[in-house]
Amino acid sequence: MSGRTYTQAGSVADAVAAMAAGARPVAGGTDLVVGARHGKSPLPQAMVGIHRIPGLDSIEVDPNGAIRIGALVSHAAILDSPLLAEQAPGLLDASAIVGSHATRANGTLGGNVMNASPAMDTGAPLLCLGAQAVLTGSSGTRRLGLDELWISPGRTAASADELLEAIELPAPSGAGARGSAYVRLQYRRQMEIAVVGAAAVVRLSADGGRVADAAVAITAVTPVIVRVSAAEACLVGADLSGGGEELEAALQAAGRAAAWAATPISDVRASLGYRTQMVAVMTRRAAAAAIARARGQQVRVPASDWSVVR
Amino acid sequence: MTVTDRVEQVFIRPDGKEKVTGAGRYTADLNLTGQAHAAFRFADHPHARITRIDTATARAMPGVFAVITHVDVPEIRYGGMVSDRHLFAHDVVRWEGDVVAAVAARTPELARAAAAAIEVDYEVLDPLPDFVANAEPGAPLVHADWQSYGGSRSMGRDGNILGRSTIVKGDADAAMATADVVVRGTYRADASQGAPIEPRAVIAQWTGDKVTVWTSTQVPFAARDGVAHTLGIPQSAVRVIVPLLGGGFGSKCDFHFEGHIAALARAARRPVKLVFSRREEFIAPDHRREGMLIELETGVMRDGRIVARRGRLTLDGGAYCGEGGFFAQMAAMHACGPYVLENVNVESRLVYSTNQPSASVRAPTAPQTCWALEQHMDAIAAAIGLDGAELRRRTLIEAGAVGPAGQVFGEVGAKQALEAALELIGYDDYLRGELPDDEAIGIACGWWPSMASPSGAYVKLNGDGTGVIITGAQECGSGAVMGLPLLAAAELGMRPEDFTLHYQDTDSGPWDMGASGSQTTFNNGRAVIEAAREVRAQLLELASQQLEIDAAELELADGVVRAAGSPDVAVSIADLAGSGTPLLGKGSGELPENPPGETSSCVGVLGMETFLAPQLITHAARVKVDRQTGVVRVMEFAAAHDSGVILNRIGADGQVYGGVLMGIGQALSEATWFDEQGRQRNPGLLDYKLQTASDAPPIHIRWIEIDTPNAGPRGSKGVGEPPSVPTPGAIANGIAKVIGRPVHELPMTAERVWSVAVDSLGLEWIDTSGKDPSA
Repeated sequence: MSGRTYTQAGSVADAVAAMAAGARPVAGGTDLVVGARHGKSPLPQAMVGIHRIPGLDSIEVDPNGAIRIGALVSHAAILDSPLLAEQAPGLLDASAIVGSHATRANGTLGGNVMNASPAMDTGAPLLCLGAQAVLTGSSGTRRLGLDELWISPGRTAASADELLEAIELPAPSGAGARGSAYVRLQYRRQMEIAVVGAAAVVRLSADGGRVADAAVAITAVTPVIVRVSAAEACLVGADLSGGGEELEAALQAAGRAAAWAATPISDVRASLGYRTQMVAVMTRRAAAAAIARARGQQVRVPASDWSVVR
Repeated sequence: MTVTDRVEQVFIRPDGKEKVTGAGRYTADLNLTGQAHAAFRFADHPHARITRIDTATARAMPGVFAVITHVDVPEIRYGGMVSDRHLFAHDVVRWEGDVVAAVAARTPELARAAAAAIEVDYEVLDPLPDFVANAEPGAPLVHADWQSYGGSRSMGRDGNILGRSTIVKGDADAAMATADVVVRGTYRADASQGAPIEPRAVIAQWTGDKVTVWTSTQVPFAARDGVAHTLGIPQSAVRVIVPLLGGGFGSKCDFHFEGHIAALARAARRPVKLVFSRREEFIAPDHRREGMLIELETGVMRDGRIVARRGRLTLDGGAYCGEGGFFAQMAAMHACGPYVLENVNVESRLVYSTNQPSASVRAPTAPQTCWALEQHMDAIAAAIGLDGAELRRRTLIEAGAVGPAGQVFGEVGAKQALEAALELIGYDDYLRGELPDDEAIGIACGWWPSMASPSGAYVKLNGDGTGVIITGAQECGSGAVMGLPLLAAAELGMRPEDFTLHYQDTDSGPWDMGASGSQTTFNNGRAVIEAAREVRAQLLELASQQLEIDAAELELADGVVRAAGSPDVAVSIADLAGSGTPLLGKGSGELPENPPGETSSCVGVLGMETFLAPQLITHAARVKVDRQTGVVRVMEFAAAHDSGVILNRIGADGQVYGGVLMGIGQALSEATWFDEQGRQRNPGLLDYKLQTASDAPPIHIRWIEIDTPNAGPRGSKGVGEPPSVPTPGAIANGIAKVIGRPVHELPMTAERVWSVAVDSLGLEWIDTSGKDPSA
C-alpha cells in the first residue's frame, strides 16, 4: 500500500548495490524503526536488511593487533567479549547502558555509530580509542576516523552507497599499561539517554608512575562528539605517586578544560549551566576510572553506576 | 468486624498468568469486522477562539468514512463535578488536548492524515498557564460563562476558582502568637501523570439504536453514563465492556473518549477503533496529577506541641473540572496530616488554567502535600532541637485524638506504623552515625481515608458446585476484584479457585463507582459477602431438608454442608447445587457512615473533612546522593501501614511495591513540564522518566493490623493509594540530611538537588562565560 520495499542482502556487495539504488540499510532497527514510529522521520521508501550478511557480526584481532568489530555486533555481544573487556573496557561501559536490555540485544554498534547522534554512548570511547570506520561502497573500501565520519547531528561523511562494515580499533602503541572508561550523567539506570557523557583513554609511562598519553572526548554537549585536547594536556604527565594530590589537580584541570570545550543547550533534560558543570564532573570521573583501570584497579562496568562503584 | 475474622490466605490472582505471559487481550488487541480507525484533531493552540471549521477536504479524502465536529453531536455540556465542557470544542479551546474534530478512516494513518487536513481557523487568545496568577482577583477568566455551568454548589466556585475549601479549628492566629517557635515553608510541586503502560483504546459498535463500547476505563458505569448523557440516549442503549486493563493509576477514571467514538461509529456506520499513541496518551487525557503551590506555617512549643497550623494551598485544576472538584478539600486535609493540631486555619484553592486538566491520579493531592508537610515537620523538629522521628512520636494521632474538623478518632495505628518503619529501616543505627556521609534516612508519615460507596454483586453456584461472582466492580490492576473469590469462598466453605469472575460489563454487573478511591474491597467486598450469605442461607435450607437437621446446627466447610460436631453427616455443595434449585444471591451491604465533624466554620465542605476508617502510614527511605551531580538513588525502603486487617498478603504487598516505586518516580524524576504556552515539553517515555525495575530498592513492609471502627470486610481498609502518599516526603527528608538543605521543588530532579547542593556544600562553579583560558 505504501509502496515501500524491503530486500534482504546476502552479502556486502548486495547491500551496496541496493544502497546505490536508493535503499537505506537496516540491521537492529532500534533507531530507524523507533524513530519512524515516533514521527522523527518516516521510514525510508526502500530498505535493505543487512542483519544476515555473514561475517559482519564477529570481533576479531587482525595480524597487526588491531581489533575489528563487525558492524552487526550487538551491544550485548560487546559486553560478552573478554577481548574487549581487556582492551577497551570504556566501550563496555557504553554498551552496557545503551537503552534497555532489548535495545542492547538488537541494537548494533554499526547502527549506533552511523546514526551519528551526539548523544550516542559508544561514540566517545570509540573516538578516544582511535577507532576507524571501514566503509565499503561501489568504488571500494576506505577507512575514516570517527572525527571525519561525523559531520553534524545525524549526518556522516559516508556516501549513500557506502556500508559500514566494521569498526577498527588500532593496536596499542607505546609501552605502558592502558585503561579506558566512559561515564555519563543518568537519571535512572535503564532506558536512559546521555545528558552529558565523557570518555577517557590513558596510557601510563612504562614504570606506571605517570600518565604518558591521554585522550578525552565529551558526549551530548557539542554538535558531534569531540575530543578535548586541552583536557588531554592537563592529564599528560600527571604524577600518580604520592598522596594523589597531583592526580586530583590534573583531574580537576581536565574537567574544567572539558567544561570550556562544551557548547551545550538548555532543554527539558537539563539547563545549559548544569550541563556545563556536569561535563567537568563526568570528565573527571572518566579520567579517574581510566587511570584506575590502567593501574590494575577494579572499576566495575558500567563505570556510570556511581551508587554501586563508590 | 474484628481481627478474629482474619482470613489467612495467599491467593494468586486469576488474571496474573495471562498478563505476564502476554496471552491477555487488551482493548487494542480486539478487532471487529469492517472496523474503521479513529483519529482526533486536537486544538492547534492551547487557548484560542475557533472562527471556522471546514471538513470538506478531509471528507473527500479516499478511505475516509466520517468526519465529525460539534455540529454532529447534541449541544450538551458534561463534567464530573462541574458541567464545563463539550465533547467537541466549538467556541473556545482551552488546552492543547481539546478535541475539535474526529475522523474515521480505513487505516490509522489515513485517519491521522485526514484529521490534519481539516481546516480550522482560530483567533489566538493569551494562554493562562499560571494557575497561581489565575487565582488573583481580576485575572482573565478561563471560563467566561462559569456561572451558567451546572455543578456542585458546595465547591465554593468563583471565577477561576473552581473549588475553595477551608478547614478552621480554634483560633490559629491567636495561638500562633503564643508559640515558642514559628516555622514557615513554601513548596512547589510540578504536575505528573498516571502513565499507564497501556495507552487508551476505545472501540464502539452500533446495533440498531444500541451501542456497545469496549474501552480501557477504570470506571465503566461513569463511561456508560457519559455516553448516554452526551449523546442524549438512555443508559439502557449503552453497554460498556472493559477487556483487560493495562494499568490506570487513576488516570483512566472518569468519562473520556467513549462518547466521541460512539458518535463517530454512528456517523461512519461501522465499528470504529481508537488507539492512542504514547504522545496522545500524555497530551489528550483530561487527567493528570495537579501542580501545586503549598505555603505552610506552624507554631510549636519547645516540647513539640503544635499549637497552630496555617496553610494556603493553590492547585492547578487545568482547563476543565472533571471529577477532581474535591481536590481543594482533600489537599487541605493533607496539609493538616495525621497529627494533633490544637488550632488550624487552612485555605485551599483549585484554580482553572489553560493547562491539561488535572483529576485523580493515585491518592490525588496527597503525595505533594505530604511531601511539603513532612519536610515542614523536619524543619519544625530542627527548629526546636528534636529529631524528626521524636517530633512525630509526640504529635501523631492516637485513639481519642480530635481531627482538624472535630472528628474524634477511634483506634488508629499511626504510632505503631512510625515505630515499625523506624525499626525496619534501622533508624537507630543511622542515628548512631553508621551510614556513609552520602547516605541518610528520611521519614514521612501520612494518611488516607477509606471511602464508602454503594456497590453490588451477585453470587451464583453452578450445577457442579463451582460458582460465579458477577460484579459491577472494575479491576484496574490492583487485584482488588481478583481477590473477591476469597471473600465468597470463606462464606461458603468453598475454595477461592472454585469461583470465576464475570465483571467489567455494565449490562450484567450492578452499579459500582469503579476502580477508584482504594475502595473496591471496602465496598464491593461487602457486597460479595452479603450475596454469598444469601447463597449460604439457601444451601443451609436445602441441606436442612436433606439431612433433616435444623439449619442452625449445620456448618459449611471443605465444600460440604455438615452437622456441627458430626462431620460425617454431610451433603456436598456440588450435590445441593446440582439438585435443580437455583442458588443465587445478591448483595450490596450496609454503607458505613462518615464520622461526624464540626464544620460550621469551614467552606467547601464535600465530605472529606473527616476520614472514615483512616489508613495511617509511615515510610522511611535510605537515600544515597551523588553530591557532585545531584543524582539520588533510593537504596532501601521501609513501609509500615495500618490498612486494617490484610485479606491477601501477596496482593497487599504488591500494592506497596508498586505505590512506592511510583512515589519514587514522583519524588525524583517524573514531571510533566509545560512551556510558557501551556504545551507539554516531555510527552513521551524518554523524557517523562518513570522509574525502572533496575531503580527499585529493596522494600520492607510491615502491616499494622489493628481493630478499626467502621472498617470494611473482615476489618480491612484500603491499600491501593496510601503507598504513594508519604514516599516523596520520606525521600525529600533523606536528601536534605545529606546535602544539608531541603529541596522545595518536586520532583527533586538531579539538577534541582545539585542546585541546592552547590550552595550548601560549596561545590565548584566553573564560569565559562568569559574567554577560554586554553584557547
